[in-house]
Amino acid sequence: MSWNRVAVVGAGLIKMGELFDQSYEKMAAGAFAAAIESVDKGFEPTQVDAAFVATQRGTLWGQEGISGNTIPTAIGLAGIPCTRIENACPSGSDAFRVGAMAVASGVHDVVLVIGVEKMRDKSTEEGLLSRAASGHPIFTRGETAPVLFAPFATRHMAEFGTTREMLASVAVKNHYNGARDPYAHFQNEITIDDVLRSAPVCHPLHLLDCCPQTDGAAAVVLVSADRAHEFTDRPVYVAGFGVATDHPYLHEKDSFTEIKATRLAAARAYSMAGIGPNDVDCAEVHDCFTITEILDIEDLGFVEKGRGGIASLEGETSLDGRIPVNTSGGLLAKGHPIGATGVAQITECWWQLRGQADERQVDIRNGFALQHNAGGRGSGVAVVNILTNRREGLG
Amino acid sequence: MTTVRILGVGTAAPGLRVPVAAINSAWDRRSGRGQVGVCGADEDSLTLAWDAATAAVRAAGLDPSEVAGLWWGTSTPPFADGPSHAVLANAIGTGPLGTLTSGSTHAGVDALLAASDAVAAGRVEVALVVASDALRPGPGTGFETRAGAGAAAFVLAASNGHGGIGSAWTRSKPLLDRYRGSGELDQRDLYDGRLFREEIFLPLVGAVVDDARTPGPSSWSVPDPDGRLGAAIARRTDAGEPASQAVYSAIGDTGAAAALFGAIGAFAHSGRVVAVGYGGGRATAIEFAIDAAVPGASDFAATLANGREVSYHKGLRVRGQMVPGGETIPMGVPPESALFARGAEEMLQLLGARCDDCGTINTPPSVHPHCIACGGPKLEAVQLARSGTVHTFVVNYTMPAPFEAPLPIAVVDLDDGARVMLQVDDDGDQLEIGRRVDLVLRKYAHERGVPVYGYKARPRRAPVGA
Repeated sequence: MSWNRVAVVGAGLIKMGELFDQSYEKMAAGAFAAAIESVDKGFEPTQVDAAFVATQRGTLWGQEGISGNTIPTAIGLAGIPCTRIENACPSGSDAFRVGAMAVASGVHDVVLVIGVEKMRDKSTEEGLLSRAASGHPIFTRGETAPVLFAPFATRHMAEFGTTREMLASVAVKNHYNGARDPYAHFQNEITIDDVLRSAPVCHPLHLLDCCPQTDGAAAVVLVSADRAHEFTDRPVYVAGFGVATDHPYLHEKDSFTEIKATRLAAARAYSMAGIGPNDVDCAEVHDCFTITEILDIEDLGFVEKGRGGIASLEGETSLDGRIPVNTSGGLLAKGHPIGATGVAQITECWWQLRGQADERQVDIRNGFALQHNAGGRGSGVAVVNILTNRREGLG
Repeated sequence: MTTVRILGVGTAAPGLRVPVAAINSAWDRRSGRGQVGVCGADEDSLTLAWDAATAAVRAAGLDPSEVAGLWWGTSTPPFADGPSHAVLANAIGTGPLGTLTSGSTHAGVDALLAASDAVAAGRVEVALVVASDALRPGPGTGFETRAGAGAAAFVLAASNGHGGIGSAWTRSKPLLDRYRGSGELDQRDLYDGRLFREEIFLPLVGAVVDDARTPGPSSWSVPDPDGRLGAAIARRTDAGEPASQAVYSAIGDTGAAAALFGAIGAFAHSGRVVAVGYGGGRATAIEFAIDAAVPGASDFAATLANGREVSYHKGLRVRGQMVPGGETIPMGVPPESALFARGAEEMLQLLGARCDDCGTINTPPSVHPHCIACGGPKLEAVQLARSGTVHTFVVNYTMPAPFEAPLPIAVVDLDDGARVMLQVDDDGDQLEIGRRVDLVLRKYAHERGVPVYGYKARPRRAPVGA
C-alpha cells in the first residue's frame, strides 16, 4: 500500500469498565455514536459503506460469535457488508488494518471499524477456567493469562537485572495517565509500593502488574484520503502497518526476553511508513502486564534490548519523557476489552496527533503515533499500526 | 516348579501427611501419635503406582519395553470400570499383558501371585507387579487415623535377581471386615471393633501366620489396620518388630500395597521374609528367599521420609470429602473429547516429533504437522527425555477450583534438546532458573468422573549439606 491513501476522520469510545448494565450491542452502538459525533464536518450513519468488527472471545464470554451480522442491526445499519475479524489480542488492531486495506483497494470509500468486547458477563472464575484448560488438553493446562507473560518477567529479571520496582514503575506511570483519561476503567494514581504490596497473582507478577478485565467498545471511521476533507480539515492518515506471527505455544519460543512477533511486525510497519522508532512522537502499546510494556518498548526499538525496565523507572516513557508510552493509561489503567483495545488505542493516537488529548497531550514534533498489540496463547501474533498527521512522508 | 526371581523393587509414598492429632482434634477425640499419608490433588493410586513401577524397572536395570506386562493390584483404581490398566501400562511403557486385580486390599498379593504364575508358566519372561492404594476412609471413622496411601512394585523373571518367591498360603472367611458398598466412595466403619478383632481379623490372619511361621523367617510384613492389631499378630510370629512397622508409622495403612511395601523394608539383607496380605475376607502369606540386597530396596527409607505436613481440612479437600457448594464450572476441554483421544498416547508416553531434516524435537506431535524450526513436514515420533533444566518459570496464585494454587509452571529444556512447558510437582519453593527436574506422571484433573494424567516437572532437591 502506498503512502497515506487512507484517512481517519472520526474516532471515539465509551467509558471503559465493568458495564453490567450494557449489552454487547448497546456498547457497540455507544462507540459508533461517539465516533460519528467526533467527525468535524458532520457524518450521517448511512454514509458507511462497510464495517469490520473486532470481537475476540465471542461465544466463550457469552456473547455472539457471529457479530459480523449482529453489529449492523445493533447500530441501525442492517444491510451493510460487515465481517468479524478475530486475531487474538490484536483483533482490534487487525480489524483496523483490514479496514484500511478495504479503503486503499478502492472497493469501499467509507469504512467503519468497531471493536467491542464483553469480558465481565461471566464470572472471573469461569473466565479463568476456560483459559486455564483450553488448547492442548495437557500442555496448556493451568495457563491463565498471566502465565503467558510471567515467564518473560522471570527471565528478563535474571538476564538484565530488571527489578520488581522497574516493573511497578510501568503500572504507576499508566495509572497516572489513566487518572487523566475520562474513558479509563481505573482513574486513580498508585505508587510503586502499592504495586509491590499488592497480592501475588502469578510470580513474579502481582495484582497491580496486571490489567483488569474490562467491558468496552471503540470505533473509528476510515475514508479514502482523497475524500478526507469532506469530513475534516485535520485528518489523520494511515502511514503504515505490519502484522507478524510466531509459534503459538510458549515452549516453542527461542527467547523469553523478547516478543518476536512484535519485532517483525514493527519492522514491516516502519518500512512501510518510511520511518524509524526515533521518529515516533508517542505510542500506545500492549501493556496487559507490566513486563509486556517493557518488552514492547525494546522490541519496537524505543530503547535498547534489556533497558526497558530502567528506562521506565527513569521516566523515559512518561508524558513528558523522551518517548511517551500509553498516554491513555494503557491496558493497565484504561482496561483491556480485547476486541475494542486496539481501536481504543488508535482513538488515543488520533487525539494526540490532532492535539485533543487535554491533560495527556504530548509534544507532537514529527507527526507520528504508533499503536501496537501482541497476543495469542504465547504472543503468537502482533500488529503495529502507524498513524500520522502529515499528508506527505518524511523527505 | 520354577522359582520366580525378583530383579528389582520400587516404592512410592504420597506427597502429603496429616497428623493423627489433627484428625482426632477435629472430632473432639483424645490426641494421638503418628501421621497418615494422603495423596495431593494431583496424585492417586495410579500415579503412586507409576512412581513405584518406574523406580522398580530402573532398579532392575531394564527398559520398560523389555517388560511383557503389568500386574496391578489396588482396591482404589481410578476407574471402577474403565481403562485404568491401559493408562498405567501405557504411561510406564510396558507391554499390554497382565491384569488389574481389585475388589479388596487383598488385591496386591493377588497381583503378585498372578504375575508369579505367569512367569513360572513361561508365559512371560519379565513381569511387572505393582500394588498401590489411596484409601479413602469415611470422615470421622475409627480408621481415619490409620488409612493411608502408597505403592510397592516388583520386577519378576524366571532367572537372575537377588531373591526368589517361595510358597504361599491363602485362607478365607466369608465375613465383612471394612468395606465399600457398590458405588460408595468412602470405606465404611466397622460395626463392632471387638467382633472384628476376635472373630474376623485375628483368626484369619493368625491362621496364615501359623501356616508360614516355620522355618522361622527373619522378617515379617503384617497388616496393622488400627495400630494395635499388628502388635497382636507380631506376637504370634515369635519375631521382633515387623519390617512393615516403618511403613505404618510413616504413611499409615497402604491397603493393597501394605504387604509388599512392608516386605521391601526387609529386602536390603539376605534372609527369609514373609509378607501377609489381607482384605475382603481373605488372607495370604507369601515367603521370599532373599540372597542379597534387592536392587531398589535401599530407597525404602527415603521414600517414607518425604512428604509435607498439611492440615486435616486440606486432607479432606484433596480427597474430595470437603467440596465447595454452588455450581461447578466445567473445563474448556471435556476429558472424553476428541482432543484427548488424539493426545492420549503422546501424553502418557511423553512423545515428541523429531524433524528428519533439522533434528528439532517438536512437542506435542498432534499439533505439529510441520517442524517449528525449519517448517519441514517429515517428522518421526520419539520418546522425550525424562529430565531437564528449568529455563524460566512462574508460580500461579490465581487458580480456580479444581486447580490447586499455588501452581508453579516451568519451561524446561529437556536433556535431548526438546523444550516443554509443564506444571511443577512442588509448591515452587525449590524452583529457580537452572534447577534440574525429573518428569513424573501426575493427575492433572478429575472432571465428570474422568481422571486426566500427564507429566509434571519435579525439582531435584538440593544435595543435603550443599
